[in-house]
Amino acid sequence: MSRVVSWLTEPVPRGRVAAFRTLIYLFVAADLVIFTPWVRHHASTPGDLYEPLLVGRLLHLPTPTPLLVHGIFWVLLAVSLAAATGRAPRLLGWTVFALYFEWMVIAMSYGKVDHDRVGLLVALAALPTVGRARHGDPTRTEAGGWALRVTQIAVVCTYFLAALAKLRFGGIDWVTSSVLARAIIRRGTELADLIAGVPYLLILAQVGIMLFELASPAIFLLHGRWRNRAVAFFYSFHAVTFATITISFAPHLAALASFLALEKVRPVEWARGFLRRRSGHVEPHERPVV
Amino acid sequence: MDTLSARGRAVRVAVTAVAAVLLLAGTFWGQDDDFPFGPFRMYSTAPDPDADAPDTRVEGVDTTGRTIVLTEANSGLRRAEIEGQQQAYVDDPGRLRQIAVAYAEKSPGAARLTTVRIVIRWEGIEDSRPTGESRDEVVATWTGAP
Repeated sequence: MSRVVSWLTEPVPRGRVAAFRTLIYLFVAADLVIFTPWVRHHASTPGDLYEPLLVGRLLHLPTPTPLLVHGIFWVLLAVSLAAATGRAPRLLGWTVFALYFEWMVIAMSYGKVDHDRVGLLVALAALPTVGRARHGDPTRTEAGGWALRVTQIAVVCTYFLAALAKLRFGGIDWVTSSVLARAIIRRGTELADLIAGVPYLLILAQVGIMLFELASPAIFLLHGRWRNRAVAFFYSFHAVTFATITISFAPHLAALASFLALEKVRPVEWARGFLRRRSGHVEPHERPVV
Repeated sequence: MDTLSARGRAVRVAVTAVAAVLLLAGTFWGQDDDFPFGPFRMYSTAPDPDADAPDTRVEGVDTTGRTIVLTEANSGLRRAEIEGQQQAYVDDPGRLRQIAVAYAEKSPGAARLTTVRIVIRWEGIEDSRPTGESRDEVVATWTGAP
């Protein structure tokens, strides 16, 4: 038990939490404007077509009106950009979580539920619990470790539990069914049409998807370079999905970054260093040793 | 290093366990309605290797007689959302009027729709591969005053 607990709260550098936090809140802003802009269209959807989800009924969330939809859009956009700076992490973090959750209830209450954002929702719920974390700070934090760990678990669940759902709804016949052929007919690209033309290739792909999803929890057994390779494989799986049936799973891709040593990515520091060198400043470690 | 208090650790473990149980229960017994704990059921059905595949579209006919395919861009409704409520439209085609209303809201200045219909194009499938043949079936139609 204690090993499970220490695994759940395995400390990570604060800088990693800071970088992941910035990435996630910038993603929320990008999601509003670029990835799922259609949510805003529900402002003009007649209220009669609103079929609130269970959580919407339990919390008595109001039927969306243009004021509610546009109000959440603009407030969430501003608050998520402010949260991306890392300031007031608890106040801004919880506000983003609450608004984004309501945004998702609006998105999914008109007859179609998407399954690509549980990892992101977990990240948004866990990040505010970490508190302050400065970029580049190497101090290790258990609270931060837990936030990243539960996001990773949610990401892996998105694969592993999807395999179980396939067995529940489709049964073992799923692997030999025409599920990918249907997906390609509905939204396939030219590349997908090419692939669909090869006998048995789609069935082979279905076997591969099932095996990959069932095996996905094995990523927790990998460390260092091998873990990074597994993450690269996950990203490549979504690259192929996008190239064939134009499904991006963008929120999941942002949450997947919780597996990476993001503290090493310092774009602002790099830009500052570049500007300093251009202005003739020489860092101590760059002086010739003579 | 920042370590957690015993209480902080216990709360986190408990929250993790509750969420995991909800997600597992949702996977085995839940439905989409249980979002965010429902099953990850994207592409989880197993259609027969030789069953024709439905490709649904919603189209409207406006006062000028033009047929328009209704999309997220011009009606604000996603195709999957209309499919998700398809049975409700089939049971009560009058409900399609709401889509005409949504179109008028989203495309101001466009000619009014007098007919809205849900059409399924059945694409042929054999051995889990598309055959390239298809036929159209209208499953629900609403016609308003001209």
